[in-house]
Amino acid sequence: MIYSSELIKGTLKTIVLKLLADNKKMYGYEITQRVKELTLDKIQITEGALYPTLHALESDGLVTTETEFIGKRVRKYYSLSPSGKNKTKEKVSELADFMDTMKFLLDIKPKTA
Amino acid sequence: MYRISDQQIDYILSDIGARGVEMESLQQNLLDHVCCIIENNLEENGDFENFYKKTIQTFYKDELWEIEEETLLLLTYKNYYTMKKIMINSGIAAATFFIIGSFFKFMHWPGASMLIILGMAIGVLVYLPLLFLFKKNETTESRAKLVLAIGTINGILFCLNALFKVMHWPGANTMWFMTLGIFALVFIPLYFFNGIRDQANKINTITTTLILIILAGVFFLQTSLRPSFTVQKKTIQSDQHMEDSYHYATEQNKITYNSSVDSSNHKTSQEKLKLTCNALCEKIEKIKLNFIQQMEGDSSIREINYQDLENSGLSTNYDFPTRMLFTENGDAKDNLKNLKEDLINFNSYISSAYEQNSAKLINLSSQKDEMGIDGSWEKTKFYNNPLLCVLRNLTQLQLDIRFIESSCIKHHCN
Repeated sequence: MIYSSELIKGTLKTIVLKLLADNKKMYGYEITQRVKELTLDKIQITEGALYPTLHALESDGLVTTETEFIGKRVRKYYSLSPSGKNKTKEKVSELADFMDTMKFLLDIKPKTA
Repeated sequence: MYRISDQQIDYILSDIGARGVEMESLQQNLLDHVCCIIENNLEENGDFENFYKKTIQTFYKDELWEIEEETLLLLTYKNYYTMKKIMINSGIAAATFFIIGSFFKFMHWPGASMLIILGMAIGVLVYLPLLFLFKKNETTESRAKLVLAIGTINGILFCLNALFKVMHWPGANTMWFMTLGIFALVFIPLYFFNGIRDQANKINTITTTLILIILAGVFFLQTSLRPSFTVQKKTIQSDQHMEDSYHYATEQNKITYNSSVDSSNHKTSQEKLKLTCNALCEKIEKIKLNFIQQMEGDSSIREINYQDLENSGLSTNYDFPTRMLFTENGDAKDNLKNLKEDLINFNSYISSAYEQNSAKLINLSSQKDEMGIDGSWEKTKFYNNPLLCVLRNLTQLQLDIRFIESSCIKHHCN
């Protein structure tokens, strides 16, 4: 099952921030691949959602970029800024809290084996 | 693993640009991304072009530039709430200043103009442009955006017009007709035909259009509203009377000269008085006639007919005299300057030659205006005055000169 883009949209920032926190520096393609890998293809981040988010994070000062030339093309690596590190913790705990609330709200019983 | 050549990179980059992505950093991001996919998924001797086209299609729903649009949207979203707050507060500030200013103006209290200008400036420079930006983003249709743009321009023009009218700045009339023209002939039709296509909003569009047409009508009606007809007519009559009095005084002085010429021992000084007064009065008469000739566009007019002036509606026009008398290249500007110099010379001539002249000198001192601010003689008498008042003030000057002249002739007789 692939999750709908609506669900992904609200959590994409958190996903990207958390990945950067765990991996120091990453480039766009790498992020999409890593997410795919980790979620066993359940979450597939589209290019149309990823790059706008990365640009927004950059303009908010949460991530910094460095470029590297790969032959003729330029690769842009993203990494967390100090404020981005704080934001990541904030975002992750907010999402965790949100998931608890959703579980309660939607009355989802924990899966029993 | 496929190896992408430099030419292929150029090809991809130019293709991304051609698909409407203009931000360089985004172009580079997408280029690297698509290259990664190709390198990892295309076999060594696979069909590059075909594979690229298929890959790039997975990036978007309809068009590639959607990504850039989404990016820009997210980048501006940050300022969205601040901007909205500024918009609402500036709207409230503009309305408040304008209403308080109008009340001050109505009560003739000082500071009215300042408040009105401030209110209008905030409205025109901050509120309306921001409103346009927000409304523009609510629609994707270019026709609806055009309606919004013209509506905003119209709104700005309306505000500027109110400002010009209230402040009596020159050019208000021309601008007013232009604004009404755009409103009635461009904005309303555009609004109507754009809205009528949408079935759901048909009734709304028709109702709003009708209200707009009524508004345009009311505005237009107000353009030609004038002071009470009786007041106007009687004022004109008084002006004609003053003109007559001046001619009468001229005649009387002439008679006095003639009767005293033999008995006088001051023939030369009397001659000088006569010449000076006549020259000055004629000069003023020329300025008056110049107005009528210029405004009617007929240089053959030799006499001021106040009734004609009233009929043609020129009598209340204040733009034209102000423009002629005060703008850098106004026709009568030099005349006004010369006139003031002549009057100053006249005053000093009279006060030195006729110490006992019983009539006073011509008053050229500055006066306080309705706001308590000192205005120069020429500003008080002629700036932003309706043509009728400008003419009246000039006639008054002629009459004053004749009075002074008359009192000076008596001095000779004694």
